[in-house]
Amino acid sequence: MATDLKILLIDDESDFVETTCKRLIRRGYSAKTALTCADGLTIIASGWPEVVVLDVMLPDRDGVDCLREIKEKWPTLPVILLTGHACMQTGMHGLEYGASDYCLKPIDLETLVEKIAIAHRESQKPGI
Amino acid sequence: MSFYFDRLTSFFRTKPRLKPAELQAAFRGHYKEFRALLTANNNALELMAELEQALTAGHSFGMAFVRGNCTALSVNIYKMIQHLTRLADGRYVELDHPFRTITRELEQLIAIRSLSTEGEVILSMKEIDVTKVDQVGEKMANLGEVKNRVGLRTPDGFVITAAAARKFIATSDLQVEINRRLKGLDLDNLEELYTVSAGIQSLISNAPLPTELEEAILAHHRQLAADSDEELLVALRSSALGEDSSNVSFAGQYRTQLNVSREFVGQAYKEIVAGKYKSQAIVYRQQRGYRNLDVHMCVGCLRMVNGAVSGVLYSRAPDNPRSPFVIIQAAPGLASAVVDGSGVTDQFRVSRTPPHPILHRQSGVEENDSAAISRRTLTDDQAAELAAIGVRLEEHFGTPQDIEWSIDQSGLLYILQSRPLGRSLSEEPPETSEYKPMAADLPEPLLIGGACVSRGVGYGPAFKVRSSLDLLRFPKGAVLVIETPYPEWASLLNRAAAVVSETGQMAAHLATVAREFGVPAIFGMKQAKATLANDTLITVDATAGKVYAGRIEPLLALAAPKPNLMVGSPVYKILTQALVHITPLNLTDPASPYFRPDSCKTLHDLTRFCHEKAVVEMFNFGERYGFDDKTAKQLVVDAPSQWWVIDLDDGFTPDFDPESRYIDLGHIVSLPMLAIWQGMTAFPWAGPPPVSLGGFGSIIFQSTRNPHLDPAVRSAMAAKNYFLISKNYCNLNVRLGYHFALVEANLGEFLTENYVSFQFKGGAADENRRLLRIRLISDILSEFGFRVEQKVDAMTARIEKKPGAFLLERLKILGYLLIHTRQIDMVMADEGMAAGYRRKIMTDLHTLIIPTTEG
Repeated sequence: MATDLKILLIDDESDFVETTCKRLIRRGYSAKTALTCADGLTIIASGWPEVVVLDVMLPDRDGVDCLREIKEKWPTLPVILLTGHACMQTGMHGLEYGASDYCLKPIDLETLVEKIAIAHRESQKPGI
Repeated sequence: MSFYFDRLTSFFRTKPRLKPAELQAAFRGHYKEFRALLTANNNALELMAELEQALTAGHSFGMAFVRGNCTALSVNIYKMIQHLTRLADGRYVELDHPFRTITRELEQLIAIRSLSTEGEVILSMKEIDVTKVDQVGEKMANLGEVKNRVGLRTPDGFVITAAAARKFIATSDLQVEINRRLKGLDLDNLEELYTVSAGIQSLISNAPLPTELEEAILAHHRQLAADSDEELLVALRSSALGEDSSNVSFAGQYRTQLNVSREFVGQAYKEIVAGKYKSQAIVYRQQRGYRNLDVHMCVGCLRMVNGAVSGVLYSRAPDNPRSPFVIIQAAPGLASAVVDGSGVTDQFRVSRTPPHPILHRQSGVEENDSAAISRRTLTDDQAAELAAIGVRLEEHFGTPQDIEWSIDQSGLLYILQSRPLGRSLSEEPPETSEYKPMAADLPEPLLIGGACVSRGVGYGPAFKVRSSLDLLRFPKGAVLVIETPYPEWASLLNRAAAVVSETGQMAAHLATVAREFGVPAIFGMKQAKATLANDTLITVDATAGKVYAGRIEPLLALAAPKPNLMVGSPVYKILTQALVHITPLNLTDPASPYFRPDSCKTLHDLTRFCHEKAVVEMFNFGERYGFDDKTAKQLVVDAPSQWWVIDLDDGFTPDFDPESRYIDLGHIVSLPMLAIWQGMTAFPWAGPPPVSLGGFGSIIFQSTRNPHLDPAVRSAMAAKNYFLISKNYCNLNVRLGYHFALVEANLGEFLTENYVSFQFKGGAADENRRLLRIRLISDILSEFGFRVEQKVDAMTARIEKKPGAFLLERLKILGYLLIHTRQIDMVMADEGMAAGYRRKIMTDLHTLIIPTTEG
C-alpha cells in the first residue's frame, strides 16, 4: 500500500491527534494536524493533504458542517469522519455530504491506516 | 429465483447505447461501487457477529460498545444502500423506508437518557421504605424498610438522594468531562484505569457543592444533632441505585466514611459520590453490564453507633440455603473490621428455632491466647436475639439475608444494613463424589487448610500482591496471593485465576466478589506467601482447600465454567432488544417473491438484499448497457463444460480474445476462482456411480439427473453456473438440483476488504439427511476457521479480514465441498457412515491445503 500519503488530522483532542500524527509519520506517512475547522481549511486550501481525517465535534464548528464546506470546495478530496460520540444521524449526514467513511474512537492505528488508504484509492479515477 | 429472473428480464429492458470507451468507464465505475459495497457488507457482517458474540461469550461490555457497534453497523448499511442505488442507476431507493424504520427503533434503544434533577434532595430515615428505592438507592431503602416496616432499631439519620447527586454533577457540568475520560478506557490497562479513575474522583471531590444542597445537608445535620448532647458524629454510607439487588452486590466497591464531624460532612459526601468512579467500581459495572449513567450515588448520613461488638449475620449458611442455623461473625468494636477482611473474628452457628441456642462457636484467635478466649464477643442472649432478627428479616424480604449489625456500649442492637445473601456457594455444584476416588492419584499438595470462600479450581502462576504497584503488574490469569483480602484487590478478580489469602473469612467483601465472579478462593491459608513463589505454576483447589504445584488436569476438569456475569444486566437487556432489529434473517431465499425491500425487517435483511441485488446488477450490466451476449464465456476443460465465466474487470489475461465464446483455464487470472477450481478438481468423485472427470460440470449434472442418487429430483434445472470474476474477486452461484450454493471471495489490497463467504441451502433429501449434511459441513468449516451460522437446513460460513494466502486455502476447501456434498448426501443415512466420511474428507482436505497462518 502507498505509504507516502499526505494526511491531515482535524481534531481538537490534542493528545489524540499528536500521538496519531507521530505514529503515522513513524510509518512513513506525512501527517499534519489542525485543532479547529478553520485551521484545517487553511491547510487544505494550500493543496497539501491527500486524505483528511475529521473529528465530528470541533470547538469552532460542527464537524459535519465543516465536512460540507470541504466537500463543496474540494469534492474529490477524501474525508474520513472519526468520532468518539456514536451518533447514527451524524454518520448518515456525513455520508450524504460525501464522507468516505465513518469510524469510531478508539480505533487502532492499523485499521485507521487501512481506511485512509482505501479512501484514497477510491477517490482516484476508476481504472487508473 | 429472482436472480435468474432478473437476468432473464434484463434482456427486455431498454439498452442505453454507449460508445466502447464510455462503456468501459461506466463499467469500471460500477465495479468500484460494487467493491465499496462489498467492503461495507464485510464490515456490517463483522459488526453483527461481534454484537452477537458479546451476548454469549460472557466477556464484559459496556453501553459504549453497544452504541458504537450499532451506530457503525447502521452507517455501513446506509453506505451499502447508497452504493446499490448508484449501481442500479437510482433503483432501490425504497430501501430507505425499512432502513429508517429499523434504525429509528435502534436509536431509541441505545439513546442516552438523562434523568431529571428534580425531586427531593434529602429524605429523613423516618420516611423511607422500599418504595423510595429510586430516590435513596437499595441499601438505604432496605434499611428504611427494616426501621419503618419491620420495626427494628436502625441509626437515625437521613439520605442525600439520587436527585441531589445529579444536581451536584449537573451544576458543575462534570458529566461531559467524565464521559470523555471514560471513553475508550482499556480496562486491561491497569495503569490507565487507575489514572483515569483517580482523575475523575478528584474532579468530583474538588467541585463545589451547590449552595442549596450544602445548606439542606447542614440543616438536616443540625436537626439530628439537636437530639444529642455530645458532638454528633455520623457515618456516611454509599447507597448506589442497583447496588444491592439480588444477584448484584457491589460489595465493598463504594466508600463508607465513619466518624465524620459536621465540618467535614460536605467533603465526605463529595468523596462518596466520587467513589462511583473507583477503579474496581468501573471494572465491576463494565463486567456486569451496568451503565455508568444508570448508577446514581445516594448517600446515607447516619448517626454513628459506638459499637462495643459488631459484625455480620447470615440468616442461612452461605453454602446451604436450607441450613437450620444462622451464622454470626462478631468482633469487638465497629463492623468494618469484619467486612473489610482485616479483623480476626469469632464465628457462631445459632439455631434458627427459638430459643435459638448456640450450636457451634469458633474463635478467630489462636487457641493459646488465653486473654482472648476469656473475652466473649457475644452473650448467649445476644446471639439468640440476632438469630431471631435474621429469621425475621429473611421472612420479611423473602430471601436469605446478609445483615450488618452493631451493639453499642449500652447494649442496644442496631441494624446497619440488610441485603440479599446473593450468589451463595451452594448454587455451584456440590462437592462431587468423583473427588474421593481421585484423591489417591493426586500429588502431595503444597498447602492444605484455610476456608473455601468461593468454590472451584483454578490454575495459573502465583503472583503476590502487597501494594498498588504490584496491582499494576498483576498478569492476566495469575493466582492472586495476598496476606489480607482488602476490598481494593477486587479490581483484580476479572484477571485472576484463583485467590489464596493468608487471612480473612467468608464475609469479607473480596470473598463476596470472588463468588460472584466465579473465581475460586481460599482464605485463611497460612504460609501462602512464604510457600508460593511468584511465577510458580500452581493449581488451587478451593473446594478442597488445597494448593498443588503444577497443573493438575483431573481437578481442572471438574472446574465449572465461569458464570456469564452479564446476563440480566441492563446493558445485556438493551443489547438483546437491539439484536431483535439486527440479526434475524428473514430474506433467506432470493427466489422468493418476498425477497423485496418492504420485507426487510432487520439490518441483516438489508445487507442480504443489498448484496444479492448488487451481484445481480453486476451480472446484468453487460446486457443493460448493450454488451452482447458473448459477455459470458463458456469454460472449456477438455470439452465445453456447464460453467460460464463473466469478467468484471481484470479476471482474464490481456491476450484473451474478447470475441471468443469459450475460455480455458490458462486465460483466467482470478486467484479466488482458480483456488475454488483447484479444490473442486483435486480429488476425483469417489462414490458411485463412477464418472469421468472429463467435463467437470457434467459430473454434477449427471449426479443430479441420476435417479439413484436422489429420487426426489425429477429433472435437473437447466440453469447455467456462473463465475463472476476479477483478478481478486469471485462470485460463484451454483444451483444443483435443489441445492443452492454461493461462494464469494474478495482478496483486496487491505485486510479490511478480505473475506470468503459460503452459503448453502436445500437439497431434496429427507430432513434428517439434510440436517446431518449441514452439520457435517458446519463442523468441517468451523475446524478450518470459518464462523458458521446454521438455521434449519440453511447455513452461512464466513471468514473476514485474514491474509489472502490463508483465504485461498479456504477457497480450495469450499471447492472440494461443493463437489463432494453430493456424495455426502447419499451416505448421510446414518451417523456412523457420516463419521467415516468425515474422516475421509478431513484427510483429503489436509492433503489439499497448505497450512498458512491467520496473520
